Amino acid sequence: MIVVDNKPIEDILQMIAPYKKVLIAGCFGCVTVCLAGGEKEVGLLASQIRMARQKDGSPIEVLEQTVERQCDKEYLEKFQDNAREVEAIVSLACGIGIQYLAEVYEPIPVFPGVNTQFLGANRDVGKWEEFCMACGECVLDKTGGICPIARCSKHLLNGPCGGSQYGKCEVSKDVDCAWHLIYDRLKALGQLDKMKEIIPAKNWHRDKGPRKLVKEELTLERN
Amino acid sequence: MSCKDNIRVGIYLCDCEGKLAPTVDLNKVKTNIQKTANFEFIRIANSLCSKAEQERLAKEIDRYSLNRLLIAGCIDPKIKRQLIEFGEERGICRYNIEFVDICKAGKENVEGTVSLINEGLLKMQDRSTIVYEELEVLPEVLVIGCGKEGAAAALAISENQPVTVVDNESSQEGKQFIEGKKNITVKTGAKVVGVEGFPGQFLVRFLDNGKHVKQSFGAIIIALDAQPCFNRDKYQVGLGERILTLSQFLKNDKDYSGQKVTFLLGKADEDSLLSYAAVLKNALMLKEKGADVNILYEDMKVSADQLEQDYEAARARGVNFLKYNGDLQILTTAVAVTVRYWEPFLPQIKQIRLVSDYLVLAEDYVPDSGTADLAAALDLRTGPDGFFQKDNVHFLPIMSNREGIYFVGSCHGPIYGIELQKEIEAAKAEVGRFASGKVRVLALQPQVTAEKCAVCLTCYRTCPHHAIEIVHDESLNNMYHSAARMHPLACRRCGICAAECPGKAIQLPLYSDQEILQQISRPPKLVAYACENSGALAAEMAKSLDPNLQVDLQIVPVPCSGKIDALYLLKALEQGADGVLLLVCHKENCKFVWGNERADQRKEQVRRRLREAGLEEDRVEIVYLAANQGNQFIASVQSMAARINQLGSNPGKVIR
Repeated sequence: MIVVDNKPIEDILQMIAPYKKVLIAGCFGCVTVCLAGGEKEVGLLASQIRMARQKDGSPIEVLEQTVERQCDKEYLEKFQDNAREVEAIVSLACGIGIQYLAEVYEPIPVFPGVNTQFLGANRDVGKWEEFCMACGECVLDKTGGICPIARCSKHLLNGPCGGSQYGKCEVSKDVDCAWHLIYDRLKALGQLDKMKEIIPAKNWHRDKGPRKLVKEELTLERN
Repeated sequence: MSCKDNIRVGIYLCDCEGKLAPTVDLNKVKTNIQKTANFEFIRIANSLCSKAEQERLAKEIDRYSLNRLLIAGCIDPKIKRQLIEFGEERGICRYNIEFVDICKAGKENVEGTVSLINEGLLKMQDRSTIVYEELEVLPEVLVIGCGKEGAAAALAISENQPVTVVDNESSQEGKQFIEGKKNITVKTGAKVVGVEGFPGQFLVRFLDNGKHVKQSFGAIIIALDAQPCFNRDKYQVGLGERILTLSQFLKNDKDYSGQKVTFLLGKADEDSLLSYAAVLKNALMLKEKGADVNILYEDMKVSADQLEQDYEAARARGVNFLKYNGDLQILTTAVAVTVRYWEPFLPQIKQIRLVSDYLVLAEDYVPDSGTADLAAALDLRTGPDGFFQKDNVHFLPIMSNREGIYFVGSCHGPIYGIELQKEIEAAKAEVGRFASGKVRVLALQPQVTAEKCAVCLTCYRTCPHHAIEIVHDESLNNMYHSAARMHPLACRRCGICAAECPGKAIQLPLYSDQEILQQISRPPKLVAYACENSGALAAEMAKSLDPNLQVDLQIVPVPCSGKIDALYLLKALEQGADGVLLLVCHKENCKFVWGNERADQRKEQVRRRLREAGLEEDRVEIVYLAANQGNQFIASVQSMAARINQLGSNPGKVIR
């Protein structure tokens, strides 16, 4: 899941300062699951904005709407009636949804209502952890199912480094050393020999710029 | 005029034996309502609290097939309860009886009264028809614990339904009493490692003599005996031939006639009566067999049935009761044991030496060693000293945080015999509901709109009662074809799930967001969301304590403070209130485990949001109180009123 956190309201108020009517756009996907951009959060933010602006003597009208996913154009189209009504949109979707919304509704300005954090797992209510950085070349087979790219502070492919002590990373005692975890896991799996294997450096050079995934066998020619 | 959708309302305008006549002309009210409203039957009643009127009401319910009642009158809480009972006996559930307080409209206000009644009627029409669900349940009961208490529970319950007893790899002391008995299966060497499902259909996982097995049961009773534990430090002496623990003494069948036996109470087992009960009973028996018996005590505890009689009988037969004060010393030789102690009433005597042949020492009682594991496997809470159940006034003795799982006996704290019998009877009654294989239950659990459910698991994780499952069904109209579902037998209707849901997919019947927000659409200066187990009752009490309490206040009752959505707090302020109170149960004393803690977290969240929006966070406050703290309610409301007066009008209110 994509994990996001709420943007400080001061920032949002600043973005929408010139406008008198805005739409708060929620997303029913990851951001609902991570309790930051679903219908509930849309309601809370809208109420907060109305009161803040009322207090500042510049009342604002705030519309509220949540759609299935903001990363698909068909769902974004559901905003069209409300979008036509407003001067700006605040999206509570992840960075993907915000960009796509901005693209679909140009020239209406679209602002981020959240800060997109990472790809992670939900450990318990209110607790998320980064698990994946979408590097494009998975090494989890070599590391006992624990990602050193996402979970080691230095993204080391061969570890641990000298900063690992008592299972914790030198960066903070709240951070587990990923390579310590990998060692423990490989030991439990009886695969400690994998620690000796040197994983070659990844090619981070993206010669083709931002990544795209096109699967010819799935694409549809619309003639 | 008739009502839509099989809703057949009977309207009763009660004039309280003519006492309401000076307040409002009920005839005019009746005529006005007849012009506009939808209902089946209307009449002016003389006093609905009288038996004659209720008999007439019963006949009218039958004759007009009424399934809803709207009662407008003086609305005394006592009469309200009486009429609710009356309605339920005639198949109209409490949620289909609406009460309208005529006095609320003010004097000679016919229109006001009519609009109050119309509001009540509207509420009834909006309310989706509440139905009963009939569920298949398993009559089989699992008793965890094969000690004396588990055996006693199993014997009682087996009179009505089949029982399986597992020892949970602990005491088998009770096995001899139940083995081979009708309706009882005994499993030894088996440990419970997990439970899935819901009351009526629990799937229990066992580690049965090393093998993983599973079996289904309708209900589970935990009855693990507490274990005696000798703490040497408390006596500064070791055990030996002449110094025994109480449990050692109870087990041996030695002949003590002609011997001098001293029981020492008060140094251990301070919190229960177990040692006192056992000592009194055995002292009497020893005395009858010709022993010389002393009981050394600091305070004699006899506060349970039969103990006082045992104490009197023991005194009458010549058992010596010797009171000591503070520390004592125990010295032992090969032939005798001496206790040196201070007698509180004879301060001039330095120390008394009491020489006996045998000294019997009371022990502490500790939870069965498997308690922590079992608590983790079943997700049950433990409390003081590691025994089951939190120390919480709202929890009935046998209740756990999960429906269908009950505590009996000393697994939730050392318990004396007669109390144990009472608990067994209570548990027997609870599991007895499943004996016929079917139960009928009011389907008042929260309802989930699948279209809005993101199956995020937030409700599942925050439910204190394990009442929620994620179900998959092609008919569920979202991309997962899945949604959360609250089980009618497991759900306790606190509404925590509804307040946690990030998609607003969950609504608790009778407390839906719409029903709650409607109450604050034009709020007064102060709105108080009040838990019905504390705040709302304290408010009721406050009315009688201070009928002249002048605060511009609206009380919005909720079943648990955990139902107070952050949105309710913000909305009250946005729509015009100057301040909001959360009236919640005392810490560690929420009937629904952690509802008040969630309420406190939401208060913090909303205070932060106000701060960020440049508004005064002090406009939101939480008050911890109990149902009997009417004075506390008055004080809190007055101090909040003073606070918002000082803060002035809420600058964030959006007046429409």
